[in-house]
Parts: sequence; C-alpha cells; structure tokens
Amino acid sequence: MYFKGINSYGDRGLVLDFGNETSKSISQEVNETFLNISNLNLQSLNIIPSFNKIVVIFENSKIRDQNKDKISMKMKDTNSQTNKKVTKTWEIPACYNEDFALDIKIIQKLHQITKEEVINLHSSVRYYTYYIGFMPGFPYLGDVPSQLITPRLATPRVKIPARSIGIAKNHTCIYPKVSPGGWNIIGQIPFDIFDLQSSYPSLFLPGDEVKFYSVSLSEFQKIRKYNFSLNELIKEYSS
Amino acid sequence: MNSIIITRAGTHSTIQDFGRFQYQHLGVSPSGAMDQRIITELQKIIPNHQNQFLEFAYVGPSIKVKEGSVKICIGGNCNMSIQKNNNSQLECQPYKSINLFEGDELIIHNTIDSVYGYIAFEHGLGLEPCLNSYSTDTKAGIGSINRTLNNEDIFHISKDVSSWDLISIPKPDLEKVTNFKVYPGPQLQYFSDNTLQSFISGVFTITNQSDRMGIRLKGESLISSKSHDILSEGILPGSIQVPSDGQPIVLMRDIPCTGGYPKIAILNEMDISRISQLPPETKITFDLQTIY
Repeated sequence: MYFKGINSYGDRGLVLDFGNETSKSISQEVNETFLNISNLNLQSLNIIPSFNKIVVIFENSKIRDQNKDKISMKMKDTNSQTNKKVTKTWEIPACYNEDFALDIKIIQKLHQITKEEVINLHSSVRYYTYYIGFMPGFPYLGDVPSQLITPRLATPRVKIPARSIGIAKNHTCIYPKVSPGGWNIIGQIPFDIFDLQSSYPSLFLPGDEVKFYSVSLSEFQKIRKYNFSLNELIKEYSS
Repeated sequence: MNSIIITRAGTHSTIQDFGRFQYQHLGVSPSGAMDQRIITELQKIIPNHQNQFLEFAYVGPSIKVKEGSVKICIGGNCNMSIQKNNNSQLECQPYKSINLFEGDELIIHNTIDSVYGYIAFEHGLGLEPCLNSYSTDTKAGIGSINRTLNNEDIFHISKDVSSWDLISIPKPDLEKVTNFKVYPGPQLQYFSDNTLQSFISGVFTITNQSDRMGIRLKGESLISSKSHDILSEGILPGSIQVPSDGQPIVLMRDIPCTGGYPKIAILNEMDISRISQLPPETKITFDLQTIY
C-alpha cells in the first residue's frame, strides 16, 4: 500500500496521495484505486489519475464533503480492493522509417548506438500505460530501456505530426494528433488512437500494456489505408 | 425552417455550455462558458436553450436571420444594435428576450469593461453534442463545432418561436471583483513564507497573453524554494500555477488535463467566472484563506 491519505484541493476538489515517488507498482495501485472509485458512482465531475495522485472534482464543496467519506471508507475497506481491472495487451505496429524518426539521431548520438539498436530496444519492452493526459488520448508509457532514456528537446517542436511515437526521459508516448511538444520523435504508428465518434474515445486506458513491433514503410501504408475504427483496432491489435 | 447566418464572426466566438465532464482521465478538458454566472442568468429568460450558447470575447459577432424568425437573449455588458430588415435601427438590452425576423441583423460591437458575452437561442442552434457536451475546445479540436465560428456559418433551428412575448429580468449584479480569496494549492509548501507574503501583499497585472486556457499574470516573481518542476498530476480550473519564471498563471476552462508546475493556490468556482471578465492591464490582489 502506497496510499498516504486524502487532501483537499480548493473548495471542490480532493487529492488522493500515493507519495512522491513513481514506479509501475505505485501506478498499478493508483489505477486500481481509480477503478474502485469510478465504480462507487460518486457525484463527481472528473476523476483524474496520474503517476502518484488521483484528483477528484465535484460541483461544490457540500457534495465534495459528502463524497469524501465514501472514498475514505472505500480506501479503508481493503477486502474489496480485489476489483482488479481487466486491462488489454496491445501489439502496435510502428514504422521507424527516417521520414518519421525526426529525432532518432539525437538518441543514437547520446547513447552511442545504431539506429537498429534504438529500434530493437524500443520494440523489445512491454510498456505499462501509466495514465492518459497532456492531450486527448495521449498515453504515458514506460519504462523505456535505460539505453534509450533521453531528455526532452531543448527547444520544443512547434508541430509534431499526428500518430508520432516519442521518447522523453524514461517514458515513451504516441501523439494522437498534431501538436506542439518536446518529446524526441522516433517513428509513427499507422492509425488514430482517439476517436470522438466513439462514446469511449481513447484506444488506450490506464493500466494497459503496449508492445511495439517494427513494420516497413509499405506495410505501414497498407495498414494506414484500412482506416480502422476503434472497435476494429481492439479486435485486430489487442488481447 | 428557421436559419441564421454569421455575417461577422468576431474575435473568438465559440459554442459553450456548462462543461464537458467524465472525460478528463482521457485527456479531455472540461471547457465550458468562461463566465458561467451569465449563462445561468440567461436560462431564466430562454429556458429552452438546449445548452447551445454562443460565447464571444471583446469584439462580438453579427448574426442575420436568413429564414423565418428566432428568439434570442444576450448576456453580458456590451454595445449592440439591431439593423431591421426595413433599414431602421433598434436599440436592444441584455437580459431581455428579443424576437428577430427574416432579414434582421443583430450586431454586437464589443464588450464594455469586460471580456466575455453570451447569446442564448430558443431551441438551441440545431447542433449535436460531442462527448455529451456542446462546449468547444479549439486547442484540442473538440466540440459540436470544433473551432471558432467563421463568417458564413449557418445554423438551422427547426422549431418555431414558442411565443412572441418578451421576458426580461433585472440586470444581474455581476460586480467587478479584483481581490480574490484563494484556497491553498496542493504545492503551497513549495513556497517560503516570504514568497507567500509577496503573493498576498503583491499586486498582479492581467497580461494580454490570456485566453480560455489560462490568464497570465505579471507581478513580483514567486520563486519556489523547492522546485518549479513537479511530477505531472491532475489539475482543476482556477488553479494558480507558477512556472520557473515566477510569473503565476491562473488556469481557466480549457485547462491541460495534467500539469507539472507547482500550484500555489486555487480560486473558488465563482471567482473563475469573475476573473475571466477582467481585461488585460487590470490589477488584482489575492487573500489566502486558511480555513476551508
């Protein structure tokens, strides 16, 4: 148990505190707690998990205070904490072609490794989805092998292409759409991961496991043409 | 069928409601009207507003009735007039319903000593919700209309005006507030007593680098005694975050969903609406509430 307690955040918010460290096991507890709290069907407006905090917001302080006790009781009731989430495991095609790998040379230079080594290392690990944030559907995945850990770009890029794969510090990510950003871009995936037409619009959810596999530019273009819907992607690429 | 056309879009006109909730864990911002007091008032005059309010900032839009007729009501403090089909000019007041007929053009010149104004339309604007809300987040590209409004945008309102009777309410007391009582932020302890004293006793100026995402303030530098870089965590509108240059930013309705700057304080919900109406160069002060 990493859970430290519940603090107020202004007049309408609560912060569930899981300490100041970050690790996969802390995140697993955060994401299980997130699910447990979501299942309480509180009168909350948003429940926002991150590395070691869960922020819950309510319409006003009265509703917040009424619901705080329910959360406290749930946190004490360790017997019911068996509500493990059914998470997905994804196998995601990634094209590391030089057209997409805008910053791969930075990583090669920093760690004195070849392009093939970067690709092999990046696609060797089953990543954990810490949480979704920064922009709609943006997954924080980790941890990358130590030979790939690279700081953010000194000057953020104004326009990162949609579906780009990035590395910053010990995390890797996918940009769901065009955006400014400071991650080192090493490749691209051939489909969209956020769909506003779907009632549950994000392909990845906190706690999911994601593994990349390298595809050629022609395979990438072939998959790109299918225009998969989120439901088709779930069938095709997850288990 | 009734329809209206935007003849001049204004500087930042968007569709908004009370916000988009239950999606922030997927990176979707709550958005919603910057000044929620005004759309709350407009509900009394146009009860069947369908949550499709038009928000404008500074320079308002002009709207012409293309077909049929519509009932609307304007909220906020603004200069406006109606150009009738027969070329006569009609004065109009906020918080009073208005019937517009084919050829009539509503011209909202600008907001007066404030930033945001609103228009409510009876029966709404014929829009479909996006993730259970009509609000627009232009940065994320989310909304019934996922951008600011453009000239020539047309809205179809299938139902006819329910009654020609006009309703008005007393102009709501939306007095200008420049002193804000704030609650301690989650990283209050990142700032020394001296810095907190500067925050409470200092005067901060609203800069023109302010929008629906955040209001940037200029004032005495609030340097953290610990760090300006925290592990990203969920953030709420009204939070006052301090990046490494020490100049605070009040996060508004289109917040990024998680943030990595320490938050010294947070405004209450009503004050988010209040501060949104303060134009650049307004000077503001903060009081820290310790009991809450």
